[in-house]
Amino acid sequence: MINLQPYENPMYFIYLFVALLPIIIAMLYGKKLHWYQTIISFVFLVLAFGGVKWHEGIALIAYIIFEMVLIGAYFYYRQKVNQTWVFCSAVVLAIIPLIIVKVTPAVYGHPSLIGFLGISYLTFKAVQMIMEIRDGAIKEFDPWLTLQFLLFFPTISSGPIDRYRRFKGDYERKPDPQKYLQLLDKGVWYIFLGFLYKFVLAYIFGTLLLPNVGKMALTYGGISWWLVAYMYVYSMDLFFDFAGYSLFAVGISYLMGIETPMNFNRPFCAWNIKEFWNRWHMTLSFWFRDYIYMRLVFFIMKKKLIKNRITIANVGYLTLFLIMGFWHGLTWYYIVYGLYHAVAIILCDVWLRYKKKHRSKIPSNRFTKLLAIFITFNVVCFSFLIFSGFLDTLFFHNIATLK
Amino acid sequence: MKMSKKLFLIFGPIIAAVILLLTLFFIPVSIQNISEGTIQRAALSQSPKVFRGMAVKKAAFSKNYVPFFGSSELSRMDSLHPAVLAQKYHRNYRPFLLGAPGTQSLVHYWGMKGIDDKLEGKKAVFIVSPQWFVKGGIAPVVFNYYYPKPEIVKWLLHAKNNRMNRYAAQRLLELSADHSSVESKGIARIAAGHPLSSFERTYLTLKSNALDREDQLFSTVSLNNRVQTISRNERFLPKAYNLKQLDKVAYTLGKEHTTNNQFKVDNRFWDKRLKHNYKKLAGKQKNYNYTDSVEFSDFQLVLNQFADKNMNALFIIPPVNERWSEYTGLSMPMLRNFVKKIKYQLNSQGFNNVVDLTDDGNKAYFMQDTIHLGWRGWLAADKYINPFLTKKQPKVSYKINNYFYSKKWQQSQSFTN
Repeated sequence: MINLQPYENPMYFIYLFVALLPIIIAMLYGKKLHWYQTIISFVFLVLAFGGVKWHEGIALIAYIIFEMVLIGAYFYYRQKVNQTWVFCSAVVLAIIPLIIVKVTPAVYGHPSLIGFLGISYLTFKAVQMIMEIRDGAIKEFDPWLTLQFLLFFPTISSGPIDRYRRFKGDYERKPDPQKYLQLLDKGVWYIFLGFLYKFVLAYIFGTLLLPNVGKMALTYGGISWWLVAYMYVYSMDLFFDFAGYSLFAVGISYLMGIETPMNFNRPFCAWNIKEFWNRWHMTLSFWFRDYIYMRLVFFIMKKKLIKNRITIANVGYLTLFLIMGFWHGLTWYYIVYGLYHAVAIILCDVWLRYKKKHRSKIPSNRFTKLLAIFITFNVVCFSFLIFSGFLDTLFFHNIATLK
Repeated sequence: MKMSKKLFLIFGPIIAAVILLLTLFFIPVSIQNISEGTIQRAALSQSPKVFRGMAVKKAAFSKNYVPFFGSSELSRMDSLHPAVLAQKYHRNYRPFLLGAPGTQSLVHYWGMKGIDDKLEGKKAVFIVSPQWFVKGGIAPVVFNYYYPKPEIVKWLLHAKNNRMNRYAAQRLLELSADHSSVESKGIARIAAGHPLSSFERTYLTLKSNALDREDQLFSTVSLNNRVQTISRNERFLPKAYNLKQLDKVAYTLGKEHTTNNQFKVDNRFWDKRLKHNYKKLAGKQKNYNYTDSVEFSDFQLVLNQFADKNMNALFIIPPVNERWSEYTGLSMPMLRNFVKKIKYQLNSQGFNNVVDLTDDGNKAYFMQDTIHLGWRGWLAADKYINPFLTKKQPKVSYKINNYFYSKKWQQSQSFTN
């Protein structure tokens, strides 16, 4: 059987467009084809998780059943009682599959059997639902809609991470043809911008430049100008590849009348590291902000564990970025990447407080703004160099020899 | 009506782009006339686009260009490089450089496949690097970098069921990263000795059209421009071709460029490639073996192709810089065995123009670096290249022997005439 990975090549878009055409036409007439959308979602899921990847397909089905039962059970429990330990157990249970998938390669050296493409993003969605059920923000459990939300195929493999209540609104709303035309316009634009990012720019940086620059850096060994070049080339590749992918996911969602949130907003124009995280992989950083950072900070304040507000914020940052590091994978460089960003944000806060106090003495003009962007850009690129794992190869596994 | 206008604004440009692209790709007429200047640039560019393209090569080989097959040594463009000598002394041929780091027999074989008719009865120069003949032959990544898709598609449409085609198809399957496309299904059929299905045939005909168009439009865009390099290097050469004077020039240039290291390799090569890690390489090549390799059968594909097209080729086997091989421990008896083996494969099938330079690795300024011909080495090669290409050669007659496609030959250690 055929296997089609999402957005892998231009052919995928042609199939997708043909499949989406009835939905687009119906929306222009103010109608929604929910049943048809379900069928093509199913078909594209089978294409992505069937064929040579059938074992991932089985893992996905098992995972979905598990999470659905968990969310449903917790919902019915929460309607009657609200005990913290049950809530905590539900969250832990929801992330256990993800933990197994992340730990297995570090311990056993091979990928886990229960893993599949996109398990992280599904877990983020499931945990989000459990937390909002506890908050009472999700007031009814609709298994069918939950399934649609978790398995929304344009975003299944790598996000952006949508929110259940937002998705529900879009899904159920009767479409307005005029408004849909605007969505269509934007969607098509995003998809074509995505082509530029992923198939042109990411190709230039990732496929043409990166291997050569990497080879030179390994040949020279240690710290060299080639390593610096590698840092920038890798950063550009990472951005254009992921941003391009996200634009596809958002654009396709728009064609289906779902306004999946954007993931990137010109991150390299950020003037400090905090601003960077408001612009880079936004749905992930907002998820971490809302469901880890904020909750932890409230918890610490409520229980009065720490008095000092600054310390509370810093503990929050450290926790958030350490978890993000571990989530990327159990290797030293992901964890260092997390710590690096936590330290960068803490220092950024120190600087912002200092600036507030000495506002009159610190100049602020176009030059300082550009300097801030330049410094932030380089701090971020260095973090991506850590993230890339290239330093690991360079320092500990460099076997570059001459041919 | 407003809606249809809006829709037109959204999709109009896409539809226009698609129509333009399809017309451009599928009209089966040639669009471009390739100029002399473009051919000259392509001949010196050593670009993968040129290797796998067909348009420029066809244009070049209808003129006085001669294919020079080889690998990285072709980029050692000093004043004695074949391209410089041919231009300076107004010879009746110009080299078309088909080779760059990593190009081995298979790349050359496929590079000839799409231009069959232009090669009939042509002469060629073929530099055989012993370093190609490692156990596994060409590395899959390297092969995929040069992946000759246009040639493969064209070949699939005409491939007869014979030993050469089956072997070539088998090697493609082993090396290619792609296993799901229509091409690879077709290749698998050829490898098994079956004909293509009619769907595959139609699909590949269309594909071949599109690839031709891509080749004609893009293969000559933004090529490395070495025309200046060649002209600049002419300055050092005497007005008239005189071996003694040329040798002096080669000696002087070699001396000037090899001042910062004990191996007498080019200064720039030393700084860029060796200075940092030569210490790690001491004694590292002691166990290198070039006599047991799949490359021998890949090389047989080239010979088979030469024979099919009645081509006459001059084979040159370059030496290894002796200071370097002593340092890395490369075995000279092994290298001599390699020469014996390859010569047996050549001579027994009627390829008799073989120049073995492997004993010259100790001559001063013969090599530009560790394993690549330079100054005096290029001149030594020219002593054979010049008469071979400028004088009429006796008619060739080959006896191709399929034994050289076998595992047994790849591993064989007994090869005396």
